[in-house]
Amino acid sequence: MNLTSFQQHLRLGLFGMIMGIVLSYIGFTDFGEVHKMFLFADLRLLLTFAGAVLFAMLFFNFLMEGLPPAKKLLHPGTIPGSILFGIGWAITGSCPGIALVQFGQGQAPTVFTIFGIFFGVWLYRQTHRRFFRWDAGSCN
Amino acid sequence: MTEYWSWWQGALALGGLTVVFVLMLGRMLGVSGSWASIVGWREARRRENTAAAFHAQPAVMQNALLAATLAEFGEQQTAQAMAGQGLTPSVSAPKRIQAASGLRWTAQLTFLLAMMLGGFLATIASGHFEVRFDLGSVHARLFGSDWRAWITLLVGGALVGFGTQMGGGCTSGHGLSGTSRLAPASLLATATFFGSAVVISFILEGYAK
Repeated sequence: MNLTSFQQHLRLGLFGMIMGIVLSYIGFTDFGEVHKMFLFADLRLLLTFAGAVLFAMLFFNFLMEGLPPAKKLLHPGTIPGSILFGIGWAITGSCPGIALVQFGQGQAPTVFTIFGIFFGVWLYRQTHRRFFRWDAGSCN
Repeated sequence: MTEYWSWWQGALALGGLTVVFVLMLGRMLGVSGSWASIVGWREARRRENTAAAFHAQPAVMQNALLAATLAEFGEQQTAQAMAGQGLTPSVSAPKRIQAASGLRWTAQLTFLLAMMLGGFLATIASGHFEVRFDLGSVHARLFGSDWRAWITLLVGGALVGFGTQMGGGCTSGHGLSGTSRLAPASLLATATFFGSAVVISFILEGYAK
C-alpha cells in the first residue's frame, strides 16, 4: 500500500485517536485493572485480550487475503527482552501505547513512564548496534 | 473511569482495531515499532530520503544493486545466475522498480500523540477527566504516591522500552497481531512477557502485605 505522507498522518492520527478511546473504555489504562488481570483476580481483561486475538484470527486466517508479512522473527532477544518487558509492565501498568493514553487521561505521573520508555528504547538501540547485531527482521 | 466495557465488547473493539489497522495502513499493528522510528528519527529520516531518491530514479537503484551484486559475486557468477532467469546483466535497463514505502517517522509520532488525545477525549466524554498525581488506589498501596513511586515508573518504563525493542514487539505487535497470525516468535514472546508480569505482580502483592 503506497500512501502519501498526508494520508499516513491522517490515517494513523484517526486510528490512534480511536485506539486511545477504546483502550480507555476497556480499562487497559487502569493500573488497578491490569494488576487484577496479572493476579487472575479478575478475568475480564484477560478474556478481552483472548477474545480480541480470536476475533482477529478469524479475519486473518479465513476472511482476508493478501495479508502483509507478519515479520516477527525468533531471535536470541525474544525471551530475555520479553521477560524485561513483563517486569516493566507489571510495575508501571503500561505497555508502550498505554503510557500515552494514560497521560492523556490526566494521570500525570505517567510522564515518568513515557520518559523511561524513551530512554529504554534509545538504550536498546545503542546496545544492539554494539553488542547484539542479530537479525530482528526490520531496519529499525 | 469506574464502569468499563464487558469482556466481549472490549474483545470485539480491540480485535476489530487489529483488523482495521491492516485495511487502513497495509501493515500489521505494532506500537513498539512506532517508538523505534521516533527515537531513531535521524536514521529513519535518512532512510526515507534515500528511498525517495531511488523512488524518483528507479534506474539508479537498479544500477546500484547490480554493482553491489557484481562486487559481491563476480562477473561470471552473476551473468550465470541472471542467464538462468533469462536476464542479461545490462546496467541501463530503465525498468520501474517499486520502492517499498515505509511509514514516515513523523506519521508515527502523530500516531502516538493521537493515542494521547484519544485518552483525553474518552475521559472528557465520560465526565471523569481530572489531573491526578497518582495512578489509583492499588498503585498507591503498592508503591506509595510520592517521588519514590515516580522513580519506579521511570525504571519500569525503561524496562518496557528496552524489553519491547529487544523482544521485537509488545502487547500490540506480538500479543495481538503476531499471536492472531500464529507467528511462533509472537506466541513465545506473549507467553513470556505475560508470565513474567504475573510473577512480578504476585511478588509485589507479597511485599505489600
